[in-house]
Amino acid sequence: MLKAENSVTIRQYWVAIGITFSLIAILLGRYFFLQIVNNHKYKTKADNNRIRTVIIPAPRGLILDRNGQIIVDNYPTYVLTAVPGEMKDRPKQIGLLSTLVNIDSSLLTNNYKKYRRGQFVPARLAKDLSFDQISKLEENKRILPGISYSQFPERFYPSQSKISHILGYVKVVDQTIRSKLENSNDYKLGDLLGWSGIEKQYELDLKGKSGVNYLEVDAHGREVGHVLNLKKINPEPGQNIITSFDIGLQSRIEELLLGHKGAVIVSNSNTGEIISAISAPAYEPGLFSGVISPKDWNKVINDSNNPLLNRMVQGLYQPGSIIKMVSAFALMDNPGFDPDAQLNCSGFYQFGDRLFGCWLETGHGDMDLKDAITQSCDVYFYKTVQHLEVDHLAKWFSDFGFGIKTNLDLPVELTGVVPTKSYFNKRYGKYGWSKGALLNLGIGQGELLVTPIQVAKYINLLATNGKTPFLHFNITSEKHLDNYIINIDPELWDYISSSMYNVINAEEGTGRKARINNEDVHIYGKTGSAENPHGKTHAWFVGYAKRYNEIFSVTILLENSGSGGAIAAPIAHHIFNYIFNEPNHALIGYAN
Amino acid sequence: MQINLRRQIGELPWGYFTLAILLLLIGMVTLFSISHQQVPGMGNTFYKQSIFIMPALLLFIIVIHIPRTFIHKYAYIAYIFGIVAVLVPYALPLRAGTHRWISFGLPFAIQPSEFVKIITIIAVSRYLSDQSNKKMKFMTALIIPFIIILIPTAIVLKQPDLGTAVVMVAPIMPILYWAGARPYHLFLLVAPLLSVLTGFNSIAFAVWGISLGIILYMSKPKILIGIGLYFSNIFLGLLSPILWNSLQPYQQKRVLTLFDPSKDPYGAAYQILQSITAIGSGGFWGKGWREGTQTHLKFLPVQESDFILSVIGEELGFVTIAIILCLFSIMIIKTIKFSAFSNDRFSALVLIGIATILISHVFVNTAMTVGLIPVKGLPLPFISAGGSFLLSSFLMIGLVMNLSENHST
Repeated sequence: MLKAENSVTIRQYWVAIGITFSLIAILLGRYFFLQIVNNHKYKTKADNNRIRTVIIPAPRGLILDRNGQIIVDNYPTYVLTAVPGEMKDRPKQIGLLSTLVNIDSSLLTNNYKKYRRGQFVPARLAKDLSFDQISKLEENKRILPGISYSQFPERFYPSQSKISHILGYVKVVDQTIRSKLENSNDYKLGDLLGWSGIEKQYELDLKGKSGVNYLEVDAHGREVGHVLNLKKINPEPGQNIITSFDIGLQSRIEELLLGHKGAVIVSNSNTGEIISAISAPAYEPGLFSGVISPKDWNKVINDSNNPLLNRMVQGLYQPGSIIKMVSAFALMDNPGFDPDAQLNCSGFYQFGDRLFGCWLETGHGDMDLKDAITQSCDVYFYKTVQHLEVDHLAKWFSDFGFGIKTNLDLPVELTGVVPTKSYFNKRYGKYGWSKGALLNLGIGQGELLVTPIQVAKYINLLATNGKTPFLHFNITSEKHLDNYIINIDPELWDYISSSMYNVINAEEGTGRKARINNEDVHIYGKTGSAENPHGKTHAWFVGYAKRYNEIFSVTILLENSGSGGAIAAPIAHHIFNYIFNEPNHALIGYAN
Repeated sequence: MQINLRRQIGELPWGYFTLAILLLLIGMVTLFSISHQQVPGMGNTFYKQSIFIMPALLLFIIVIHIPRTFIHKYAYIAYIFGIVAVLVPYALPLRAGTHRWISFGLPFAIQPSEFVKIITIIAVSRYLSDQSNKKMKFMTALIIPFIIILIPTAIVLKQPDLGTAVVMVAPIMPILYWAGARPYHLFLLVAPLLSVLTGFNSIAFAVWGISLGIILYMSKPKILIGIGLYFSNIFLGLLSPILWNSLQPYQQKRVLTLFDPSKDPYGAAYQILQSITAIGSGGFWGKGWREGTQTHLKFLPVQESDFILSVIGEELGFVTIAIILCLFSIMIIKTIKFSAFSNDRFSALVLIGIATILISHVFVNTAMTVGLIPVKGLPLPFISAGGSFLLSSFLMIGLVMNLSENHST
């Protein structure tokens, strides 16, 4: 309880009062000194001299291809700015400005409203000023208080390639964006921020650090000089990113894909480097830098071919027959299964009351597992896969990376769907689905959905007998990379790779059109023609080519284009031909 | 002891409350001036601050009705809750780069340290008032209060929030002095800190060495103890630059950033310059309400909270600054008076603690605005915008009025 009595003495009381009075007296004295004694000095300073902070933007890091070719560059443009607090009569000044630089005044007014960020922060009125316009501004500086121009490094794409989906784009940081940033202290309004793709993934490396300069300006906005006790801080440029792209190959494939929708990925299976990656159709890489006109924007948004979609990581497709190697592994995983047993294909297979057709309606005749892969016989797989459990097959799909992210160095990636028993039960009810679903899964149809990048990972696993580094774009510095790993009996790998060799090299192989004329190169592959609800089949070709220790893999998907062997395999031919037979396009640093 | 729960409301020192309301009015008038260029809605400072007035007054009314035995009884439990409350933000995602806030998904967040600084004082006061019958021993009477205060201070310092940490630690000396600690003992507690700091400058260290000797000599300790104290301090001072230099540069940087939390390295100097120009150009009468060219044209950040005095100085002049400082002086001196003439030791200690919090806020904020001390983000009571802070300020004056002697039964 509060029994203890207060023992404060009068002396202690006066000490406390004394300290309080002295502290308050110090403060009052200081304010008196500033506001009364030096009032005149500060008043002049406030009236005549104002400090303008000029932010010196840091040049963003460049993005290069593996041979040092610049893919994304910075281009110095001049932007017209207005400091709201320094302008005298805004409508009149903008009218005057409009006639001087010959830019529509409604555009200037609109931009003023859009980019006004504060009384003393320059608002961007127009960009890409010409030398002529700048000289006009210089001549008329006196009658245009608050109006100024400054340099601004803008993103610029000198390469002929349109790698827009992977490069991504930058945005100018405004109030809304800044308030949502976690590290908002690192950004000022007007800075560039990587918004998607590699620009976003490697933002911390690319962005650099902007500098700042303090200028004293008079009431007319004229620079009087530097502020003595505020030092100029120079910007630190961002770090360049070297990517694994080969721009030559990239442009070649882009040409081949003109008029197609789809995705192509070429990678080095030994290193995981992605040498080319195309999502077609693409959009102009400069589309998002600067201001997009509503017309351009609507054109892109309403395009039924959906150019903004990055098909490589966001497109979900039935894999079709290219999945048959996984089905084969799943079959061979059963002790009772004999890969050499001959099964007859008559062009269709009756399961219960349903008919499952083979792509070759006349039938393949007697086949073993190797023949069934080489000629892509569906009936063989219907007959064998029905003895598997759905979850057993699903486990093999997952082991090869389907249904999970590949850890590619891009900010967005879809996982796709690997259906399991519980998936079917949830979706169709316990008795709502039959084993027919399993038969479809075995040939890569039905509910199974994959992204092209997952397929590329799958092919690299096949090419390396189950151990291949993570797929990636950034090769700026030597980094330890994790591997995708899958442990399977070496004999089984050999069985599958010889089957894939036959797909290309046997007379009846479906991938014959991928062959190239080079004895040192051995090509392995698989075609696929995936049924889908949108029209013609999706044409798939996957494969890899070996020359001594080098291994390059390709993944080709062309939406609604027909058969994989006829449409996709020839593109693989061109890619392998470029890599191995065109010495003038020698690819530096390809071999591991 | 029978406690009369129905306090005689009329006996409360309402003059004290009037001071707070006057300061609040000055603050609201200034916030209105700052906000007139902002859009109405939750982003508007004036509007936002208005919302917090009712809860603040409600809290005040609750506090003046709590019996002081109740406050005394639950001091330690409240203290434990307080420690938990300042730890909670560490479990939450960073907010504005710090761990100061607890968000409830509302447009505003709560800053627990604003309340914990008061709770800590109550806990220390309870401890020291319970000790009063025994003889004040150096260890128990001086060291344990330090520990009670330093635990929440360390947590808040790490958030990082140097300003609030300073306010939290400031009351320890006045409270110990009030509790009867010898000034000499208090001096011995501060001495090692001064030794370390002066160790970096030979002249300062020489002056300090001589003063330490004189003070020790005049206090007449036992000869061996005196010599021991003297040389251990000198040794500490000599050692500190060596220890500092043995740190890695990044470690040194980490220590320095702790004491200079201005996240924008070139922002602080710019801010002070702008603030001084704004205040100096205001003159005696100011440029007039909503007429401040510096504050309205310049982009002065945190002008509604930490730098609100530069707006007042420019627009309303020295006369208003002087009025504000007078109102605060009266408030603080009244608090000291309530404390000195309180009948029980617990109330006396809590009151001197609150007086110290008030003077710390006023001094640090007012001094940094005019560049007398480095920028430490700390708001001005009743005037600066800030919801948690307004609530805690009214909680403080509620406590002061409650513990003041006039109305005791």
